[in-house]
Amino acid sequence: MIVKSTLVRHHPGVMTMLLTRVAVAAMLPTMLLAAPALAHTGAGGAGGFVSGFTHPLFGPDHVVAMVAVGLWGALLGQPAIWLLPVVFPLVMAFGGVLGIVGVPIPSVETGIATSAIVLGIMVALAARVPLWTAVLLVGAFAIFHGYAHGRELPDGADAVAFATGFVIATGTLHLSGIAFGLLARWPAGRLAVRAAGAAIALIGALYLGGLV
Amino acid sequence: MSAFVDGLAQFFVPTHLLAVVAIGLLAGQGALRFPITVFGAYTFGLSVGSIMIAAALRGQNTAPMLLGIAALSGIVIAAAWPIPYRAKEIAASALAGILAFNAPPQAIAIPSAVAEQVGVSVAALATFATIVFVAMRAARPWQRIGVRIIGSWIAASAILVLALWLTR
Repeated sequence: MIVKSTLVRHHPGVMTMLLTRVAVAAMLPTMLLAAPALAHTGAGGAGGFVSGFTHPLFGPDHVVAMVAVGLWGALLGQPAIWLLPVVFPLVMAFGGVLGIVGVPIPSVETGIATSAIVLGIMVALAARVPLWTAVLLVGAFAIFHGYAHGRELPDGADAVAFATGFVIATGTLHLSGIAFGLLARWPAGRLAVRAAGAAIALIGALYLGGLV
Repeated sequence: MSAFVDGLAQFFVPTHLLAVVAIGLLAGQGALRFPITVFGAYTFGLSVGSIMIAAALRGQNTAPMLLGIAALSGIVIAAAWPIPYRAKEIAASALAGILAFNAPPQAIAIPSAVAEQVGVSVAALATFATIVFVAMRAARPWQRIGVRIIGSWIAASAILVLALWLTR
């Protein structure tokens, strides 16, 4: 105790630190139990971003298709490795506009499941197709994914944060696919990437068959 | 001081950030040195917008215009189109002026309103300069690709929200 009081007397910073710790300890239960201040203007933006970011992550068929885009890009190499992740969001936005405007596109969910199957098969076979074919195929499927997102885009001030969140999440899934796809430089990695493609195709087939 | 902080907070909303990040990346993409003329044009636009607000012109909801410029800039960044500096200067000054209009001071007292407007301007200038600097430094191939990918994300987000606002 004497040591402690001496320490406090000679080092005023220690006293501040002790008081801060006591204050934090006292505040912690209050902070945990308190209801969020939803009326705060900044909370909406952050909430919208988080909702948008998590939105694509809750649809496994969407997730695997996005990862497949990255995997296929990595297998195809330059320039597909960066062109596909650039093209996809732009075409997805076009699909989103169609969804927002209300242009009827039949069988959107079927299109999303099919995208997982087709892109998964491309990865599993390590299919080397011309660049324009890959861009066309990925772009066509991006319309279905964008359409589904566009229909679910919330109205109001949160729309920007929500849209930014889900576009970034979609892009991050592409990048994670590319990162995993880069393992294909090694024989064992190539096998793992192609196996991941087969698994993606299987997940797509389960969704298409209504088994999930 | 509180009004100045309010001004800073008023800038940091998703629409403003999306637009300023887009124009900052556009200005910095492929630039070998800091694009001082684009920065000057941006500062000029911001000043004109602020003066017009101070001259008792009513603030407008110019968010769709900000998003329109963000979408166009995002497409140009994603495509890596080498556009002339003059076009970048015009886009930067237009966006900055529109930005000032979209963030009018909420305070009634003149000193507080001025402090708020200064807060918005400082945040807008600092964010723009930071993004330009980051885009300039992105010189390695994978970094340049990263800038293009972010451009496509910005364009996609802006197009979606624009469509939402124009239809509902």
